[in-house]
Amino acid sequence: MRRISWKKIFASWLAALAIAVGWLLVEPQSVSAAEPTYTIATNNTFEPFEIQDSKGGYSGKNPGIEIEMLREIAKHEHFKYKLKPMSFNGDLQALEGGQVDAVMAGMSVTDERKQKFDFSVPYYTDGVEMAVAKDSNIKSLKQLKGKTVSAKSGTSAALFLKKNQKKYGYKVKYFDSSNTMWNDVKIGNTAATFDDGPVLEYGIKTGVPLKVVTKKPIDAQPVAIGFQKGKNLAMQKKINDGIRWMKKTGRMQKIIDKYTKGNKTAKSATADRTILGLLRANREALLRGLWMTVELTVVGIICAMIFGLILGVLGITQNKFAQAVSSVIIYIFRGLPMIVLAFFIYMGVPNVIGHKVPLFVAGVITLMLDEGAYIGAIVKGGFEAVDPGQWEAARSLGLPYHKALTKVIAPQGLKIMVPSLVNQFIMTLKDTSILSAIGVMELTETGTVIISQNMEGFKMWLIIGTIYIIIITLLTWLSNYIQKRMA
Amino acid sequence: MDKRYKVQVKDLHKSYGSNEVLQGIDLNVAPSEVVCMIGPSGSGKSTFLRCLNRLEVPNGGHVYVDGYDIADPKVNINKVRENIGMVFQHFNLFPNMSVLDNITLAPVQLGKATKAEAEEEALRYLDLVGLKEKANVNPQTLSGGQKQRVAIARALAMKPDVMLFDEPTSALDPEMVGDVLGVMKQLAKQGMTMIVVTHEMGFAKQVADRVVFFHDGKIREQGTPEEIFDHPQHPDTRNFLDKVLNV
Repeated sequence: MRRISWKKIFASWLAALAIAVGWLLVEPQSVSAAEPTYTIATNNTFEPFEIQDSKGGYSGKNPGIEIEMLREIAKHEHFKYKLKPMSFNGDLQALEGGQVDAVMAGMSVTDERKQKFDFSVPYYTDGVEMAVAKDSNIKSLKQLKGKTVSAKSGTSAALFLKKNQKKYGYKVKYFDSSNTMWNDVKIGNTAATFDDGPVLEYGIKTGVPLKVVTKKPIDAQPVAIGFQKGKNLAMQKKINDGIRWMKKTGRMQKIIDKYTKGNKTAKSATADRTILGLLRANREALLRGLWMTVELTVVGIICAMIFGLILGVLGITQNKFAQAVSSVIIYIFRGLPMIVLAFFIYMGVPNVIGHKVPLFVAGVITLMLDEGAYIGAIVKGGFEAVDPGQWEAARSLGLPYHKALTKVIAPQGLKIMVPSLVNQFIMTLKDTSILSAIGVMELTETGTVIISQNMEGFKMWLIIGTIYIIIITLLTWLSNYIQKRMA
Repeated sequence: MDKRYKVQVKDLHKSYGSNEVLQGIDLNVAPSEVVCMIGPSGSGKSTFLRCLNRLEVPNGGHVYVDGYDIADPKVNINKVRENIGMVFQHFNLFPNMSVLDNITLAPVQLGKATKAEAEEEALRYLDLVGLKEKANVNPQTLSGGQKQRVAIARALAMKPDVMLFDEPTSALDPEMVGDVLGVMKQLAKQGMTMIVVTHEMGFAKQVADRVVFFHDGKIREQGTPEEIFDHPQHPDTRNFLDKVLNV
């Protein structure tokens, strides 16, 4: 530590922060003025409406009914769009919070939703169907008494289940994605699952070992794009015109047929399903997810470290007010579950400040506040653990408070904190996975997307888990090396 | 305040909660005077010493050092402290830097000297305390006696007018005590104003110009070493000396 000057460390932190902030500012957010750009929330993968390719995008040949539809409408009506894939619940919250202009996610038009959103012209009719494991004897809703059934939260299937819960006496379990939900039925945790008909059928067609037991869709409802109520009327008109044009010219039906009839879009069964094969097939997506995780971790740790240092330094001053501020901030952000904080920043704050918070920024702020609070407590504890005699000796030489702190106390305190800090860095790395909840395409979210395409839950999570272990091991080695150098 | 004195203390009070540790202390120290403070533990002598550079904030009274009232919150205490050297029982060397850096830190940081000047000075002080060859080692590798001598050199590097010693030999192995006391004697001989809290009666007898006996937060008795050690007046003083001298 003696060789590394305090000033240099601080300067490099500042520089890193400046780079991070600068980079965030330049991050592409603005587009040309000629054609308007709409931000549209959608599902990660919600077959057959949305089907992400292995890179987590929708640029492939078979991106799903809605994506193909939107592509053609945008061309015809002259606008550009940016897609934000999230869980369906996230979609709805993002629309309410004004983070996005529209939601296109196989959304059924229900009376309840009509109160909150405007809807486009419907382009599809969708109904809830019930599916059970292949070897199950359950054939009707009446057999579900006392059993657990599932639906994706916020979907029309969920609304249906809630409405009829008293009548049939089942317990409802909610999920965020179809795959996890179906898997739960497959392994027997839930007796039956309720999902949109086309989604279920598409899934079964591509190899999900379930069977549909309802004869015809329950509660058939139109599917449409949702808008913020009473806002963006120009966009609403463009999209409505586009849908009408698509229907009139038969283009809509052609797209729908492509995904629901015949085997054109079915995945090839001959794909390599070994772990190595999966790795090879998803190499790019995994690398991109890993990179996002690393980026979030690094920028997050830097910001959290600065925030934590400020909290820690405030916490040890003799000023009672500063101490109280530090304690309260640490108390709040340590007490708050990180997922709540992430939702609050990404979905809640835009309601108040009136404009969107970019996803990456929201992620970094979440990490900064949450991990920063922990680091604040560590820093405070580390400084307090330095022998008070060191303060007395430094001050009695005439050194002012800040010099005593930076030259004498901080270097010793930092050394005491290193093990706890390393631990916190590893926690930060792991906590980035929580940000998948708001749709950040980091490693965990990448895994979710890939599994939604290939249904290889066990092998893919094994791969994802191994990647985490590997980077954490590297990080631990690095920190051990640094600790040894400092000692 | 009186210009004749380096340190002037008037009616100093200090309490912790309801426990009044100092109950009105008056003491004047003339330039180049060596004052030794003795007394049983808990009598308040260390607290008194720490009040002299406001490591403890007095509850009442005045402490003048070089004309500044340390008890006045408006006084820039950092400036005053530059002229008061302090040596602690547990040395309190900075383990995160070398012996040399320990000594040069304050002069360099406070703009008293360039790094090069400060290092040259530091080597002189290290020579004075007999540890020139230890300049570049880490203080944690030194023995207790060596640490304390480095601590003295560190305090001297600020060129203080007054040196405060808070039981400087109490944490040392007996064979180390002599070295530290030797350095202190040398300082006294060179005319340094010194206030020393000590249990070393031999040192007090030999070096002190005045011995002050503390008891229960008050000064019971003070005088030349002969007066205190050979003709103590107060029964508390006699009692204390009986205990420490006739073990």
